[in-house]
Amino acid sequence: MERLLPRVLLFALAACLPLVLVLAPIGTFLVLSFFHMENSQIVPSFWLANYANFFRNWTYFGTFLGTLWLCAQVTAICMLLGYPIAWFVWRRSGALRYFLLLLTVLPLFMSYIVKLYTIRSVLGLNGLLNQALVGLGILGKPSLLFMFNQHAVLGTMAVLYLPFAILPIFLTLERIPANLVEASRDLGASPWSTFRYVVFPLALPGTIAGALFTFVLALGDFVTPQMVGGTTGFTFGRVIWSQFGLAYNWPFGAAMAAILLATALLIIALASYSASRQRI
Amino acid sequence: MLNRSERIADILAGLLTALVLLVLYAPVFISAIFSVVQVNDGRIMWETFSLQNYVSMWSNPSVIDALRNTAIVAVSAVAIASLLAVLLALYAEWPGAIFRRGIEIAIYLPFLLPPIVTGLSLLVSSAQLGISRGLATIIIGHTVFVLAVAYRLVLTRLQSMPRALVEASYDLGASRLQTFRFITLPYLASAIVTGAVLALTLSFDETLISVFLAGDRMTLPLRLWAMMRVGFSPEINALVTLVLLVSLVLAALVAARLRIGNSNPE
Repeated sequence: MERLLPRVLLFALAACLPLVLVLAPIGTFLVLSFFHMENSQIVPSFWLANYANFFRNWTYFGTFLGTLWLCAQVTAICMLLGYPIAWFVWRRSGALRYFLLLLTVLPLFMSYIVKLYTIRSVLGLNGLLNQALVGLGILGKPSLLFMFNQHAVLGTMAVLYLPFAILPIFLTLERIPANLVEASRDLGASPWSTFRYVVFPLALPGTIAGALFTFVLALGDFVTPQMVGGTTGFTFGRVIWSQFGLAYNWPFGAAMAAILLATALLIIALASYSASRQRI
Repeated sequence: MLNRSERIADILAGLLTALVLLVLYAPVFISAIFSVVQVNDGRIMWETFSLQNYVSMWSNPSVIDALRNTAIVAVSAVAIASLLAVLLALYAEWPGAIFRRGIEIAIYLPFLLPPIVTGLSLLVSSAQLGISRGLATIIIGHTVFVLAVAYRLVLTRLQSMPRALVEASYDLGASRLQTFRFITLPYLASAIVTGAVLALTLSFDETLISVFLAGDRMTLPLRLWAMMRVGFSPEINALVTLVLLVSLVLAALVAARLRIGNSNPE
């Protein structure tokens, strides 16, 4: 063997960095979540008051449940729209298929904040929709009907996260061997039976994994609710964010982020379990 | 042979696809049009076409500053992440590696978790260590975020590398360093570049982690966010269009590279 030492040192350094830069910071904020504030100073302590506050105070716990419900709705919309689209693209062939796939994937590359801006410039008070409706005489004056309400948050999040739902469904559909579908057809199954008993079950684990990841993406979003929801779009991410800004209670914010982390980890674990049950 | 119900399903799904693509793309095109012409009462005034918004954007010092910060952060984070990705992939494939699973989880976590968790965990720990927020903290945040992508691509490529290549190199008397330099690294090169381009796209757009780590330094998405809160101006439309164009170029690069990777696996 040649000199082993430099290699081991280099590896040790490389292997330590993810631990130092990812796991240690997560550990740090978990520790902080047990501290508390006294005279706007963070005081080291070990108490569960932050967690107790969260569960006792409906303002926070209710927001948490409301956010879970919002994300469930976003995920449901993304699945209901994303599944037929992924299926449609999957059934095309050649250049058309590649082109459609490119079109559905391209929004993933576009800047998140830019997409938000463009949606606002359509729905907003001075947006195109209002201008057009006023111009056509349908509305007397620009309306705030399309923005700063819960529906706007839901719709905007669905538009933002739909491409994230389409791609995993398409990728699982694509892994289904063509001869399975052909065999089903040769044996006399109708197109609906083929879909119901061959395509759908085979793609199910991947579809569920895609849905769960869409849920996690929506769960962590704190900019969309602010930008299109205004005061009505008060989600859990925004509550946490405000503890690190104006409210200035880092330990309490850390405790709520720990709850967010636990929720996200649970969903990611479910997603990877579902993906591991994929038999193709 | 397509029967009737299948054809109907195809038509309905096709209509849905067309409608959704319209909803996804229409706002983008509208902003691009807003950046060069004026719009009154929903009617586009084509005769007002001008590139004035682009000119005034370039003379806005805060935009130029944000652009420079974004470039510094993206290039540094991608360079560090690519280097780390190669080292970590080599480590993962090294028989003597310990704690491999834990390290892989640490690599993938920032990509899978809500960005708010990554952002504030780095914020809290840098505050504890007394590091003030600025470009360096943003670079660290972006590095851990894009590392997953770079690592995944390099690792997949490394795992597909025939053992015989390395063994032949040793048999011919090459040292470990020479084997890495002349055999392994060239074999990994295309995966490293694809990973770097993908990482560049992610870093260029990253907002939700940066916002915790930026302090008073602004990257382009943060500047855009700040401008949006103030209100609308044709200048923002110009900047938005420019950002979209950069994203499109990067996406085209990735698509081209992945296509080459698929058709020519060497």
